[in-house]
Amino acid sequence: MKSIIEIIQQKPWMGWILFLATVAAVFLIGLFASSIIERRGEERALFQILKPIADWEPRNEVWGENFPREYETYTSTLDTTFRSKHGGSATIDVLEHYPNLVVLWAGYAFSRDFKQARGHYYAVADIRHTLRTGVPQPGTCWSCKSTDVPRVMNEKGPANFYKSKWEDLGSEIVNNIGCQDCHDNKTMNLRLSRPALIEAFERRGLDIKKATHQEMRSLVCAQCHVEYYFKGDGKYLTFPWDQGMTVDEVERYYDQVGHTDFVHKLSRARILKAQHPDYEIFRTGIHAQRGLSCADCHMPYRSEGGVKFTNHKIQSPLANIANSCAVCHRENEDDLLRNVYERQDKIIEIRSLVEENLVKAHIEAKTAWDHGATEKEMEPILTLIRHAQWRWDYAAASHGGSFHAPLETQRIIGTALQRVQEARIQLAAVLIRHNATVPVKMPDLSTKEKAQAYIGLDMKKLNDEKQRFIKTVVPDWDKKAKERESKMSALTTGNK
Amino acid sequence: MLTPLKKFYPPPAWRPAVIVLSGVMTGLGLLILYISNAFSYLSDQPETCMNCHVMTPQYATWQRSSHREVATCNDCHVPQDNFFNKYLFKAQDGMRHATIFTMRWEPQVIEIKEAGKKAVQDNCIRCHVDLIERVWSDDMTYLNRHYKSGRPCWDCHRETPHGRVNSLASTPYARVPRLSPVVPSMIEKLTRNAK
Repeated sequence: MKSIIEIIQQKPWMGWILFLATVAAVFLIGLFASSIIERRGEERALFQILKPIADWEPRNEVWGENFPREYETYTSTLDTTFRSKHGGSATIDVLEHYPNLVVLWAGYAFSRDFKQARGHYYAVADIRHTLRTGVPQPGTCWSCKSTDVPRVMNEKGPANFYKSKWEDLGSEIVNNIGCQDCHDNKTMNLRLSRPALIEAFERRGLDIKKATHQEMRSLVCAQCHVEYYFKGDGKYLTFPWDQGMTVDEVERYYDQVGHTDFVHKLSRARILKAQHPDYEIFRTGIHAQRGLSCADCHMPYRSEGGVKFTNHKIQSPLANIANSCAVCHRENEDDLLRNVYERQDKIIEIRSLVEENLVKAHIEAKTAWDHGATEKEMEPILTLIRHAQWRWDYAAASHGGSFHAPLETQRIIGTALQRVQEARIQLAAVLIRHNATVPVKMPDLSTKEKAQAYIGLDMKKLNDEKQRFIKTVVPDWDKKAKERESKMSALTTGNK
Repeated sequence: MLTPLKKFYPPPAWRPAVIVLSGVMTGLGLLILYISNAFSYLSDQPETCMNCHVMTPQYATWQRSSHREVATCNDCHVPQDNFFNKYLFKAQDGMRHATIFTMRWEPQVIEIKEAGKKAVQDNCIRCHVDLIERVWSDDMTYLNRHYKSGRPCWDCHRETPHGRVNSLASTPYARVPRLSPVVPSMIEKLTRNAK
């Protein structure tokens, strides 16, 4: 056979065919390549924010213009009609239901007022109205209440934010927990807006930036729904996770750094007030271990017309069993509900025993002091009371703990019961040694009012002060905030 | 061994030009493999299906379903009876999808084809055989489909796992894995700085 060169030498048009075929092939491959690239590029065009959102834009309604479905469901956290056996979306006066708690928190603002919080849309209203903000509080208290927090922290720096007086930030913090607490304003990806969680990860040598999307669907919640404390005079918001995230490891951490939230008015025990270790307890439960995130149950997918989207009405899954539990569980709703209540009831049974015993321990300790007990005698007892109340509170304050991780919650409550019983055994010995009458006579604590009178609270004065504050100070905050926001424009600041 | 190829050898004077030209062609081919994430198609990663953004509703709905924890796209949508079937199916399906996507023939609502239905049905049974043992009949297991009487599982289990709405526009703003830019970040940084 002849070589190509010979063919072409004999028939020059063959050379042209070869040339044109190569041109066509390269042209087509090039078209194919640019088609792939174009289609890859379309993906970016799929996501467009029609009204650009400025950095640190706190107003949820401005974000909402771009995402009406998400915004609409978010605003429906205003709905307070849902009520489950032990919780719900309405305000519940916990002290009224459990007057014993007044005594457990004697000497701390929680004894004045403790209500179950409503939905995210009420965050600012609820913190303004609680009697707990009647005592001087630091700016740290605002940290989780508002989308204004990232904005102000960006201006002042977190340390200065925490150091401020609570009242001084009142006019700055007006928008309720919302969009920018969890979302990036340019990409809408989940992002962390609060430093405390990031710092806690850093101290443990973990890189939170490596979190997967599924982990982020819990971590954005864990910016707030965790146990925390205000560190030092700067009241720096800190998560006590340096040694680990279990109740025992956090207890050890607090003991080592010598943290105390308040000294108990009756027993003089150095009490730790647990916040709401929701994320920590959730992590120890079966749903977390099977890979679920907070959003899977608290923000399930929702169909509306031809569109599916994440329901931003963040609420108890019990209010929406069909779209949360039933995604995986095929049992009927009544059975599922019963399964949840069963866990809650059993834990509340033991929790109530701990509460009763803790009240007795505080009052018996007071009686012991009154009869001349010494610091040395009381020290081990007060440590037991501190640990017992910490463990009780850790379980009691964790929203949904008895469902998230019934086994761990029962373990925590069980160790609390053991410690308070041990304290009372030792107290009995001290009381007898000092000739006190045993058993110590217990006051009537059957209602919130009686309990508050017993620990010496002047509730009328506190309520009047709060009313005055609501009528005089709050309108002024709102006025200043309105002035500030009237100068903000989403469009001018967004298109930098 | 290379003797039959010898007749294609260019004369010595042409060789440099031919080497450069074959390099251009090979380079273009590699570019296509690179920009189309071709090697990802050998894996079972659900993210592979997100190479084409039209799969967003399917990915987003699967990612919020109970099957997320136990089954990837391939577990259901590709035959799992043997290695050769699996990759043959993948190759056929892949070529069809690539053609449709390149030619922009995709419909507004993507619907599963017969071969895909069979694969999915077989895979339903593969995992859930214990559930259908007691109700097993050719009608229930889609075996009679050729006589228009067989029923696949999803005739009743219509929401599993993607839900009912499958239009391309059904999951706006869903947070799903996105492709990284074709241009390496190093070069992108340089061009951004130049601006």
